[in-house]
Amino acid sequence: MSELSAPRLPKLTGGDIELGNFMLGLPGIDTGALASRALLAEIDGLPRPRAVSYTPYTGNWSSYHCEPSKSGGRDDRDTHTSGGWNPQDWGRKYLPTNGGCIYIDLDHLELCLPETLSAWDHAAAWHARLRIARRAMDSANARLPEGRSIQVLVNNSDGHGHSYGSHLNFLVTRRAWENIIRRKPHYLNTLAHLSCLLKVGVMQLALAMIEGERVNPALVLDDPLAALGAYSHDPTLRSRARLAAGGGATAVELQFLFLEEARRFAAEGGFEGFVPRAPEILDLWEDTLERLRAADWMGLAPKLDWVMKLMILRRTMSQRPSLTWDSPEIRHLDQVYASLDRGGLYWAYERSGFAARLLDEDRIRHFCSEPPADSRAWMRAMLLRTAHPEWVESVDWDSISFRVRDGGYWPSRRSIDMPNPSGMTAAEFAPLFAGEGGFSDLLDAIEAAAGGLGVEQRHQTVN
Amino acid sequence: MRQREREDYRSPTGGGGDAGGGLDHLRDQANRFLEAGDEAINRALANSDSEAFLRSNRQQGGE
Repeated sequence: MSELSAPRLPKLTGGDIELGNFMLGLPGIDTGALASRALLAEIDGLPRPRAVSYTPYTGNWSSYHCEPSKSGGRDDRDTHTSGGWNPQDWGRKYLPTNGGCIYIDLDHLELCLPETLSAWDHAAAWHARLRIARRAMDSANARLPEGRSIQVLVNNSDGHGHSYGSHLNFLVTRRAWENIIRRKPHYLNTLAHLSCLLKVGVMQLALAMIEGERVNPALVLDDPLAALGAYSHDPTLRSRARLAAGGGATAVELQFLFLEEARRFAAEGGFEGFVPRAPEILDLWEDTLERLRAADWMGLAPKLDWVMKLMILRRTMSQRPSLTWDSPEIRHLDQVYASLDRGGLYWAYERSGFAARLLDEDRIRHFCSEPPADSRAWMRAMLLRTAHPEWVESVDWDSISFRVRDGGYWPSRRSIDMPNPSGMTAAEFAPLFAGEGGFSDLLDAIEAAAGGLGVEQRHQTVN
Repeated sequence: MRQREREDYRSPTGGGGDAGGGLDHLRDQANRFLEAGDEAINRALANSDSEAFLRSNRQQGGE
């Protein structure tokens, strides 16, 4: 492990995936709200709603309650925290299977990944979450009358030129956080395994270097947002952006400079203990940059979403000369690339063996039903599995509250706090779940063990 | 995806690809890609009204 003096933390990751969801077969109305609520209803999670605003489709679409509860405009699932109606956080459920959660933001489903330590687990959990959403889509569609179907796209567009993808979350020290301009950017959603890995892995490397206070000021862009716009709109990769220290660089040149810095940091052991499998991330990054520099598009198409999609669209236009970039068919294919439906173009390439598979299939399946063992997501999932569902009062990323009724006349309110995203892992706490006592006994044991780790818990009798 | 100025995507046999795979591997890979793509694209365009699809996909964005 590096002996750098600045405080540092393992680069634990999380993320939200914003989906585009709508219904075909109901022309003339916005169907995002209908579709998102139908999808959410197909996924089991906790806490259970106390006022259910959803009933399955029973033959007449008007019976499908797509709006929030009529009783005052809110129900008890309005938000995962107490408080009023929040249209950007509705119906949030945490999943006992893998410890992540799912909710509705305005009119689309938002999938939140469980906290993971490695980029590989993050990417596998990402694909697992998409499979969960696909199962929900299939189940919801099975309830619909002929001619209607819910479509789910792994991206979200408002139809006015704005797109929304995902947020990535990383564990950083307060000191590093204050050194970074606070922003909440949207990343492009990705499906290609290499895209998924590099998106997270390279950011882990960069953040570890920021925490290690190894930022080379010569690489700072003069206007980062303008550069991002110019770079991202130029598939030729020729656009140059000004550096604050003078001169300019293309996106690939700039990344090579960062790669050199990262290689030096790695040679000093700077990533050890903070970024799992950092040498592999560095190698994948370098190989990708080399291919981009060489314009090796056929080598990159199976690995990077944007290259694969660009080739699809260009080929379609070459075969159908009447089509242009503005044709509905091309814009349609642009969106269908990331459709969760089996007609989604990415999945066709994956089935054919063209899309490069860097993630272990067993690991993706694992995260469909199991939490990461090396973060607090493990404790969250295990508690949600073990508790009687009616006892789960509220769930948030860093705490779960229960009204436990396995003892005396009055229920007791118990809370387990999980302030450390890297804490309460399987390695530390799994033996406690093998005990034969009741749920209160389990919470007692967790409290005692957490107290030993310096995390005090809350306990209150309700009457 | 709006820029069209670059039309010089290398041919499957001239663009590098897997260093150790050789030309046969690259041709095979390219053929798989093209066939899978054509079939999926044809299906997508044949089974759905593109304009209706685009009209239906109106989202509010997000946070």
